[in-house]
Amino acid sequence: MTVPLEDLLRELAPQVLGAVVRRYGHFDTAEDAVQEALLAAVRDWPRRGRPDDPRAWLITVAARRLTDLLRADSSRLRREWTVALRRDDADVPDADDSLVLLFLCCHPALSVPAQLSLTLKAVGGLSTAEVARALLVPEATITRRITRAKTAIRDSGATFRLPSRAEWDDRLAVVLRVLYLIFNEGYASTAGPSLQRVELAAEAIRLTRLVHRLLPADSEVLGLLALMLLTHARCAARTAPDGALIPMDAQDRTLWDAAAIDEGIALITAALPAGPTGPYQLQAAIAAVHDEAPSAADTDWPQIEALYGLLLRVDASPVVRLNHAVAAAMARGPAAGLALLDDVPPASHRWYAARAHLLEKAGDPAGARDAYLAAAARTSSVPEQRYLRERAGRLSGE
Amino acid sequence: MKYMILSYAAQLDYDEMGGRDTGRPAWTPEEMAAMGEFMVAFNQKLAESGELVETRALAAPVLTRRVAPDLAGGLPVVTDGPYAETQEVLAGYWIVDVDGIDRATEIAAMLNDTPAPAHVRAGAYADVRPLMDERAELLES
Repeated sequence: MTVPLEDLLRELAPQVLGAVVRRYGHFDTAEDAVQEALLAAVRDWPRRGRPDDPRAWLITVAARRLTDLLRADSSRLRREWTVALRRDDADVPDADDSLVLLFLCCHPALSVPAQLSLTLKAVGGLSTAEVARALLVPEATITRRITRAKTAIRDSGATFRLPSRAEWDDRLAVVLRVLYLIFNEGYASTAGPSLQRVELAAEAIRLTRLVHRLLPADSEVLGLLALMLLTHARCAARTAPDGALIPMDAQDRTLWDAAAIDEGIALITAALPAGPTGPYQLQAAIAAVHDEAPSAADTDWPQIEALYGLLLRVDASPVVRLNHAVAAAMARGPAAGLALLDDVPPASHRWYAARAHLLEKAGDPAGARDAYLAAAARTSSVPEQRYLRERAGRLSGE
Repeated sequence: MKYMILSYAAQLDYDEMGGRDTGRPAWTPEEMAAMGEFMVAFNQKLAESGELVETRALAAPVLTRRVAPDLAGGLPVVTDGPYAETQEVLAGYWIVDVDGIDRATEIAAMLNDTPAPAHVRAGAYADVRPLMDERAELLES
């Protein structure tokens, strides 16, 4: 059973680009050369058959093309500006090239949209058109964004090697955040043009699997992969026909993807004892507790409250504090939740919605009604507004 | 994160730019040229940074055609140029894809430097509006 050509090329793209940049430098031109080599493969292989060593074939063609491009680029100024991204240590295994490339694409000098676009193109092996479709912007915007990102990387003086031990944690955190954002972009329920739209959530999972393969000992990478699988497992149950988001307690759990849940649980079970427990592992552990419950009523809320308590130590953002308060209410009653909620800044409509739910449970319909209406006035989602106003309507005149 | 930046003008503003004497100070050729150059450079900069999704300028409000249903079930009711001369309506927009609303605001603020006669600058403003986008909360409780 041969792998489909497109999947094979996507798999090989970062390895080939990494190998070419490691040997010859010129990240920006090399990226164009590799794109052309991939196109050549799409053109030639179906007709002449696949080469014995597809990776070597692509590296050879890309290197030849790079030489041509650099030769054609006779402008002295541009040559002076081209800082060759040479590796300081020559004998590092090829497998690391994809990882080095990923660190480069998630360089802190780039804006978030630039990091996402460049990662999808250079490491994900997507074409400019596919990246544009996935992020719902015109192709010209992505072309400019990527050109500019490459220039920024070049001007930052980055070299083609893994970050030093001193900056490793910070740099890896940026990489994981970019992967998380790609996943989130795909997870957003905005219906883009679905025609051949690259499934961003699936793409993020694929890239995170790659990072996990390259950094098998890193438990936060494991945690992120588990979090994605455990969250993605619920996606078929998340949206109603009218586009409204269905909250977890109302989802049809038979629609959840059991295989993804099993894999996610296995990963997080392996990760937790393996090293320092960071925010992705804790979020994955929380997602696992939800996914393990056969029904919403069977959810182990005390455990979820405890996990949010741990997550608060590393991430005390309003959204985490809000979820902690809700978990406390589910575990120990609405009064406990409301007491915690009072200390959380009302950063979004979700704060008012959570407060409304807890007030309703605590037997304060008038307060709950006001909070539902306050939440409805603060969300831009029409289905959600309808849901919140409908809840408020049930409580009117009590 | 995508935002739309909107700018507004009334038919009167369009007419003044078109050389009509409205009793207010007229646009000089130099002012018109400076405004045009500013807009070209502004759009160019946004395009090059990879933040620009799309930008358009809208033709004069007087060219608007409003279409409404006929409640008696007949043909749609069509009204040409439905606005009063001084009513401010959408004159142009930019859709940008940026890190967040602060960056979108920064971009909109650059429009404050658009060259124009003093009375036009005095009343100028732009709105920044998030595009509707149900971003899911990954952290579900």
